[in-house]
Amino acid sequence: MRAQVTNHADSSMFDWLRYRHLLWSLTWRDIRVRYKQSLLGVAWAILLPLSMMLVFTFVFTRAVQASSLMAVDMPYALFAYTGLVPWTFFSMSLMGCVNSLVANRNLVTKVYFPREVFPLSCVASGFVDFSIAMAVLVALMVYFHMTGDWAFVIHPSLLFVPVIVMVQVLLTIGLGMLLGMANLFYRDVRQIAGVGVQLLMFVSAVVVPIPKDGSTLALILSLNPLVPLIGAYRDCLIYGHLPATGGFLYASVTAVIVFVSGWVLFRRASYRFAECI
Amino acid sequence: MADEVVRFSRVSKRFRLGAGHDSLRDLLAAGMRKIVGRRSRGRRKPIIRALTDVDFSVDRGEALGIIGPNGAGKSTALKILAGIIRPDYGEVSVNGRLAALIEVGAGFHGDLTGRENVYLNGAILGMTRAEVGRKLDDIVAFAGLEKFLDTPVKRYSSGMYARLGFSIAAHVDPDVLLVDEVLSVGDAVFRLRCMDRMNELVRNGTTLILVSHNLDQMQSVCRRAIVLDHGRMAFDGSSQDAVAHYMQAMSKTYMSHRGDLSDGGEISSDVELESLTFHDGKREGVVWTRSGKAITAIAKFTLARPVPKLVVELNMRAMVSENLVSINSGRDGVTISAMAGEQEIQLAIPGLPVRGGQYFWNVRVWDGDSGEILCDSPFRYPLCIDDGGRATGILCIDHEWSVVRSKSTVSIPKPHSDVGGDSKIREGEHENMPVR
Repeated sequence: MRAQVTNHADSSMFDWLRYRHLLWSLTWRDIRVRYKQSLLGVAWAILLPLSMMLVFTFVFTRAVQASSLMAVDMPYALFAYTGLVPWTFFSMSLMGCVNSLVANRNLVTKVYFPREVFPLSCVASGFVDFSIAMAVLVALMVYFHMTGDWAFVIHPSLLFVPVIVMVQVLLTIGLGMLLGMANLFYRDVRQIAGVGVQLLMFVSAVVVPIPKDGSTLALILSLNPLVPLIGAYRDCLIYGHLPATGGFLYASVTAVIVFVSGWVLFRRASYRFAECI
Repeated sequence: MADEVVRFSRVSKRFRLGAGHDSLRDLLAAGMRKIVGRRSRGRRKPIIRALTDVDFSVDRGEALGIIGPNGAGKSTALKILAGIIRPDYGEVSVNGRLAALIEVGAGFHGDLTGRENVYLNGAILGMTRAEVGRKLDDIVAFAGLEKFLDTPVKRYSSGMYARLGFSIAAHVDPDVLLVDEVLSVGDAVFRLRCMDRMNELVRNGTTLILVSHNLDQMQSVCRRAIVLDHGRMAFDGSSQDAVAHYMQAMSKTYMSHRGDLSDGGEISSDVELESLTFHDGKREGVVWTRSGKAITAIAKFTLARPVPKLVVELNMRAMVSENLVSINSGRDGVTISAMAGEQEIQLAIPGLPVRGGQYFWNVRVWDGDSGEILCDSPFRYPLCIDDGGRATGILCIDHEWSVVRSKSTVSIPKPHSDVGGDSKIREGEHENMPVR
């Protein structure tokens, strides 16, 4: 006789929708807790990418002269910030997901609800920070426009930005579920993911453009779906045109595959979480 | 036919101690061994059978207690019901909204205020924000934390924490409420209010499943109880019978383990306490008796030296309380002049008129001349007393009811005699007004 559970434990992929109140509550908790007992509070959502932008601007334009930066045809600060904002969203959400199940061990072992809620709330709270940081980007764009460093045009391609965000969110959730689940079984995953994310930053055209010289290295690096994704933000926000179809399609397909496989595997393993954590 | 809300049929669950590999290093090492072809012998993780073929169902509005020794599978059963873990075999169905209180305040975040945690915990237990908003005042009033609502819970005492946690769960209005051993927290008044609240929920049609080691508490809420022992159903029936069954099983286990308890509480090396047993008139070594029935306590110990004025005291107490009974040979004016060697002191008691439950005894031995305490054993000699479910309160005393009909005080409801002239009122019932 196989085990049959005809209550909530055996429900569908969309079970978490019934628990959306909880999703919002956990998201709100994450945000609330992150900025509690801090003087600057939510301002950190802006200060973090902004200070990183300043660091990289200093490093790459004053301290060292990197030849690859020649490929950047916009003010470097702008290049760095448009890369750092989506990158921060990606990396913070991902690391949040990796930790989420273990950090909420108490809930995993003591209360039932669909476990998808944990990674989902990490991405949702990352999205709140992302939105705030995006608002600052507008201010930055106005500044560079005023100083004459870059001429912005309001272009309909801005309307494409939500699609890019969507693709990024799918990719993050999928990866986050896979890694969060793996971390539950083997805590090593968190360490590996930490190093991996650091490395990924430098090969995702976040602060340094990737080489496009047709070398083997360039070919391997172009397999990273984050490259066309982050490039797409710059295309729509800075250059004012739609991203190149091929690259963006590749990123989207990858994101959907990662998302679906991540979600399915997560669901299938989730009933073992409480025992294995 | 009452409708069945919870069904647990032939459920089995096993756990492997030390789940899988603890780190990637172990996994890689195990993988290597597999490749090399060497079986790692003796390193298999042992398997625990947490539940084996457990079968029960609960109807709407019924309160079921689950009792059993530690490790009997009580919490596993609750976690399976709650959907936290999945059984290996068997079927579980829960009909309706379920709230599980497996740990008080699971999911509380220390940095958030009481109010914020009520909303968060409410959501965790399945309430919407609007629902929590409606019930917030009740929840806070029940927990008695009005003044601390905007204080972060990390500043709460553990009692306040527990009160708020229980209060939230008690206001979810679930169809099925699971409560796991959480009422051992909070002060006595709050514990009583928790029980009142649980009784109220059950009256209003909530199905309650309560796991508790506090048998008195369990009995006052649940009419029916099951006993789990080593993951198997040992008993299913009225909670009084379940407690009696459990007590007997516990005492047997206790007796078989008694050899392990080396510390008899001997303070002086002059005395070695052997045992305290009970004789109910039929046989020695009973651990179970009826309330009010005659029983003899037999204390056996060995003295290394003669004690001309020996004082022996036997004390009985319930699980959590002060002494209920203290009987002291010295106070009774009994002089025991004991030679060295084995002693057997008997104390005949015509009856222990206490409410049913589990009681524990200890033995104290003094040297009456010097006042030196020779032995003060722990309260570890059990005696279960069954009152047949008659008593609540502390005592179960002999009593007899009689109804003395009286013009001035009896007020039996009046039949509807205004229809027709045939009066059915019997003598003595004409007047309902008290007459002096």
